[in-house]
Amino acid sequence: MVTESPETEQQLKFERGEPWWAKSLKWGLILLSITILFYAATVLAEAGHWLFVVITAFVAMGVLIVYATRRCVPFKYLYPGILLTLALQIWPIVYTVGMSFTNYGYGHLVSKEEAIQAIEASSVRQVEGSQRYGLAVAIPEGQDPATGEIVFLLTSPDGSINAGSLDGLEPVDPESVQTSERGRITEADGYTVLTGSQVNARSVELSEFAVPTESGGIKMIGLSEAFIGEATRVYDASSDTIQDKVTGQVFVVKDARFVPRDGVGSGLPQGWVENVGFDNYTRALTDPQLRTGFVNVIVWNFVFAFLSVITTFLLGMFLALLLNDPRLKGKAVYRSLLILPYALPGYITALVWGSMYNRDFGLINELFHLNINWLGDGTLAKIAILITNLWLGFPYMFIVCTGALQAIPSDVREAAAIDGASAFRTVRSIIMPLLLVAVGPLLIASFAFNFNNFGLIFLLTGGGPFEGGQSMIGSTDLLITMAYRLAIGGTTPNFGFAGAISVFIFIIVAVISYLGFRQTSALEDVN
Amino acid sequence: MKRTTRAVAVSAAAALLLSACGGGSNTTETPSSTGDTASAGDAAENTAEDSAAETDVEAAPADDAESTEAPVRDANAELVIWADNDRAEALKEFAKQFGDEYGITTQVQVSTDVRAQFSQAHTVGQGPDIIVGAHDWLGEFVQNGSVAPVPLADDVQAQFVPESIEATKFDGQIYGVPYATENLALMRNTDLAPNVPATMEELVAHGAELVEAGDADAPMGAPVGLVGDAYHAFPWLDAYGGGIFGQNADGGWDASKVIIDSPETIKGAEKMAWLAEEKALNVNMDGTAMAAMFAEGRLPYMITGPWSTTGAAEAGINYAISPIPEFQDGGKPLPFLGVQMFYVSSDAKNPAMAQEFVNQYVPSADLQMAMYENAGERAPALLEALEEVSAKDEDLAGFSEAGKGAPPMPNIPQMASVWQPLGQATADIIGGDDVESRLKDAQKEIVANIG
Repeated sequence: MVTESPETEQQLKFERGEPWWAKSLKWGLILLSITILFYAATVLAEAGHWLFVVITAFVAMGVLIVYATRRCVPFKYLYPGILLTLALQIWPIVYTVGMSFTNYGYGHLVSKEEAIQAIEASSVRQVEGSQRYGLAVAIPEGQDPATGEIVFLLTSPDGSINAGSLDGLEPVDPESVQTSERGRITEADGYTVLTGSQVNARSVELSEFAVPTESGGIKMIGLSEAFIGEATRVYDASSDTIQDKVTGQVFVVKDARFVPRDGVGSGLPQGWVENVGFDNYTRALTDPQLRTGFVNVIVWNFVFAFLSVITTFLLGMFLALLLNDPRLKGKAVYRSLLILPYALPGYITALVWGSMYNRDFGLINELFHLNINWLGDGTLAKIAILITNLWLGFPYMFIVCTGALQAIPSDVREAAAIDGASAFRTVRSIIMPLLLVAVGPLLIASFAFNFNNFGLIFLLTGGGPFEGGQSMIGSTDLLITMAYRLAIGGTTPNFGFAGAISVFIFIIVAVISYLGFRQTSALEDVN
Repeated sequence: MKRTTRAVAVSAAAALLLSACGGGSNTTETPSSTGDTASAGDAAENTAEDSAAETDVEAAPADDAESTEAPVRDANAELVIWADNDRAEALKEFAKQFGDEYGITTQVQVSTDVRAQFSQAHTVGQGPDIIVGAHDWLGEFVQNGSVAPVPLADDVQAQFVPESIEATKFDGQIYGVPYATENLALMRNTDLAPNVPATMEELVAHGAELVEAGDADAPMGAPVGLVGDAYHAFPWLDAYGGGIFGQNADGGWDASKVIIDSPETIKGAEKMAWLAEEKALNVNMDGTAMAAMFAEGRLPYMITGPWSTTGAAEAGINYAISPIPEFQDGGKPLPFLGVQMFYVSSDAKNPAMAQEFVNQYVPSADLQMAMYENAGERAPALLEALEEVSAKDEDLAGFSEAGKGAPPMPNIPQMASVWQPLGQATADIIGGDDVESRLKDAQKEIVANIG
């Protein structure tokens, strides 16, 4: 390898001869992305998300390695794609799986410390029989507003005025103060009344500040009111319980929240996030309501996705074959008309069809003088959904098939005709196999889409009708709409449980897609 | 780090659940007085007032009424309020006045979905100091520790409609200051039904006559739909003292006492079944169908709230509002009372300022009047403002009369487990199911859901 081949040399020359603008554009883009990443890192660091800072740093290093050097040529193309896949596909999946092992959901959003804090903070009440004071926050005259010793100028309901500091209350001569129209003290001899901004600047300090009195600490409410308030529920770390000082009730920890020890009454609403292991999965598999409905829902889910694909494909292909006939005139008009249902937003179509199926006021029953309970009967509702989805889905299949048909060379068809094949035979044995090669993967994609066709079901029937005196499992529910209702829609949102159900659906769809794509690669052998 | 990851987690779960769902799925399904049921009316209102909103030059880019993105808190503002479009408009003047008085900068931002956007922003510590919203969000907020108690003085409490103050309480503690109330009432087409019906029986009889004569398509309308509507069915259920939850010692709702299969509730539901027999209630009638029928002048009576008045007026229908009539045997259908209120975030940057605003500014007749005029003409919660408004607004006087003694909608988080099963049960009963056994099933389902 002593002699370099002339080609390599030429190539090197070419690289050296990179025009100046391309070079500066390249380095400009590299600099720009590094700057953006650096900015993102500072923002993340400021918010204390150190893991993300590290990840950002790695991404930036990757940018430098891949684009600033001449190495890693394939990576120059793959890098953005890989990053986006990781960020938008892999990360959500990993996160959902992680979350499915927790009880994360409404009522369990925060850590235990934060929950206890919230419980104590929301239990602060005015001490029975104590009075309310008018308030002005002040500091002794001459001190710096930012650091001066805080004094509450308190006006009692009887008009007497006291200055409250950490040492307690001290009377103030009412003559020495000036008040606004609304009775707020604006000036006082010997004190500087703080402005709103100055109070704001010390709000953390003020939220802790209390003037000690015999019946409790006087705390500020807003800027112009103060009262003697105390937390009526207090956490005891040694026994891990919360005691209500008014009722004497003791709350103990159970299922990541506090419940009454004696079992009487409701638990405290504020709970915390906790690892629950496989509980969400066990619940998804053993919940009696779920178990009875699950099988039906899965069966219908497959039937729905399968029939949707088949019906739309057959109708779409049929129309495509008709309109592909060279003898037909005005094809463009027909084709545009047929694409219309596809051009309208699907959710509008679903809502319109929903109202057309109405038993008493719907267009379908009125037009044909029928009294069919379209959406009120399980089987009929399923048929209604398939009809609507046929309407929504055939234009897509029509477009796809038209495209694929035009790609089939006409000599194949002519050859079939010469050999004496009937029209049906030509379609079945010649056109279909060729068509399926092109359309097969799209059918799988369509199946996967319909398998999770949340929008249609949600807007048309909402999963209903609900038969047999319950409201959890509807006759037209897909796994996805059922999961949505169980986990988020019909009850207090429970993201952990939703995560577990999502994982199940993910596995099912993944298996189907895998089998499906294996099947299509078999189809390709036709060629 | 944890907080961000959690926010990511929520969106991740939602994304996975909804990823393959195509467009246009509406993700907020929790029925509430101001969520679902009001949405039809509100939507109409909003379109009418959109043009007004667009002329607002003061609003930050994030305040764009068209945008559904959550507002972004301005780091320099010392007091930030989130409200929906109309309410934000009405509040700007007062926020500015407040800012001037205390020498601070204030900002009122438009949030298209206050409840969800506040919850999300609060989780990552970027929430506003004050939000404006319905009282039935309270249980969820307390559960998530996202709002702080508002120690409203006794004399200030006494200036409000008592039920509205009750509605702001959770576990005996006040969490906000109300500014408006709303409830269902009977709205009648005065051309078809000139007189206020004395009883439900009379109403149904007159409605049936109109249908017979071909002047109407149904004797009465109420939103039901195939999955039911517990909010609109509640007046029948509580007519004889029944309802959803029993009360605990301090007057709050007790989630451990579900009374859906109690004899009182069953008696009310029997009346509901009777109304269905008389075609006054119908599972094929939903809010949209009802509103359309009323607007065509083919419906003499409907059970609805203040959100329907705009649509009826625009359709040129002469209408009047009155309480839902009693049954002949004395059963009195009372609707839920919904209350609109100001909440203070538990994570407020400046809790003192936020408390000052809700304690001192919200209980003023000026603010309550401004909210009435600019934010949907709901009845003010402050007695002084209510009296002033009732004298000149007949619709509002009617709704306010219909809401007398109405129980506040339960604001405990367990309510989320009730809407759907109870709604379905009412739909099934209206569709002809046996009342007692269907309510027993609903009771079982709801108790299991609450867990």
